[in-house]
Amino acid sequence: MANRTDPAAKSIHGTNPQNLVEKILRSKIYQNTYWKEQCFGLTAETLVDKAMELDHLGGTYGGSRKPTPFMCLILKMLQIQPDKEIVVEFIKNDEYKYVRVLGAFYMRLTGSVTDVYRYLEPLYNDYRKLRQKLSEGKFCLTHVDEVIDELLTKDYSCDIALPRVQKRWTLEACGLLEPRRSALEDDFEEEEEKEEEEQAMDSVEDDTHEKNYYRGRSPIRERDRDRRRDRQYRDRDYERDYGRGRERDRDRDRDRDRDRDRDRDRERDRHRPRDDRDYGRERERERDREGRERERRDRERGRRRSRSRSRSRDRRDRDHEDGDHRKRRTRGSVSPRRRPEDDGSTRDEPKKKKEKKEKKSDGTDHPDPEIAEANRLRASLGLKPLK
Amino acid sequence: MIEVVLNDRLGKKVRVKCNDDDTIGDLKKLVAAQTGTRADKIRIQKWYTVYKDHITLKDYEIHDGMGLELYYS
Repeated sequence: MANRTDPAAKSIHGTNPQNLVEKILRSKIYQNTYWKEQCFGLTAETLVDKAMELDHLGGTYGGSRKPTPFMCLILKMLQIQPDKEIVVEFIKNDEYKYVRVLGAFYMRLTGSVTDVYRYLEPLYNDYRKLRQKLSEGKFCLTHVDEVIDELLTKDYSCDIALPRVQKRWTLEACGLLEPRRSALEDDFEEEEEKEEEEQAMDSVEDDTHEKNYYRGRSPIRERDRDRRRDRQYRDRDYERDYGRGRERDRDRDRDRDRDRDRDRDRERDRHRPRDDRDYGRERERERDREGRERERRDRERGRRRSRSRSRSRDRRDRDHEDGDHRKRRTRGSVSPRRRPEDDGSTRDEPKKKKEKKEKKSDGTDHPDPEIAEANRLRASLGLKPLK
Repeated sequence: MIEVVLNDRLGKKVRVKCNDDDTIGDLKKLVAAQTGTRADKIRIQKWYTVYKDHITLKDYEIHDGMGLELYYS
């Protein structure tokens, strides 16, 4: 029968390879005309010809979930199970991008974890455009590296559930993979060296107003992600420098922003050579936090949105900071203080009231536990709470 | 707030609490969270009427305690 898997084929992930595509979708593909006409009696060689004719990728579309030719070819590959060399050839070929993506997808489905990372990561450097069919039937623009990223990070693509792969750092820890070298690594190294030089300069002067003012205008700032921040804060730097307890802010910032920074730093650190990582990290974190804090402050001033959660924590931090005051003196970077003491306390009350109102409207603190549970689920899905 | 019962006649029977101004798409998300299938694979029907994603439950006149059929696509 045409739909049976090649009897010589091995089982993939413990099952018939065609079972990687789930039952309903598989039936849809078997009933599809493209499958019946074009995919009958295909071999590895003739499959290449069909793959070269592909002009879009995608999953199922339309009300009746019609599969795309891309999916039909994937199922055909699962059925005939071409050798690994052939699949690697598909991936390596430079001329036909859809053949490349087809090979990459098949490798992701059937290959071992190390193979997946080894063969798919070089494709991150391919920036060519691809046409993707959405589930509504329209086309959208995507790129090869975006598709590869989706394959490596998500567990569902083109209506097929992808087998689980371990995270990269697990494999690095086991020694099965080497740490990732990005094509942009040289650029990052350059930038990092420059930043370290600036840091060395700054750490010599300690706790001076001019230094803050200077750092506010240092060239590093321009290179940071939020450039518009500079324009807004240039005037304010000077007034903020005159205030007590600048260290207080650093403490507060650190507590609040630790988690946020960790993700950002980890992402950046991946591209950095290992020895420099720890050295640069602390300084990085300081600088990032200051910058982000300023941006946030601006937003607060402009719109007075409820930041009371962070604000109420401020108060606690303010009480506790005195013990840490001495420690902070040794750090090179200094963050400007948020605002004068008297302003802060009056602002807290209106913010606190807003915070209470927000909590109620979310509904997650409903007295009935079932409804509270349901509301929590709804909030996680982005729906309004139950009435 | 209404409670809708969805049955797929193969063993999955699910009671979902929702608002009457939720859309069918939202209902599918809630069902997906409860059953573990994906939201876009679910099809909600009543006899031969397939319910569309963008229409609210109120417009379909789905009341409290009403039973719907759960299919997969």
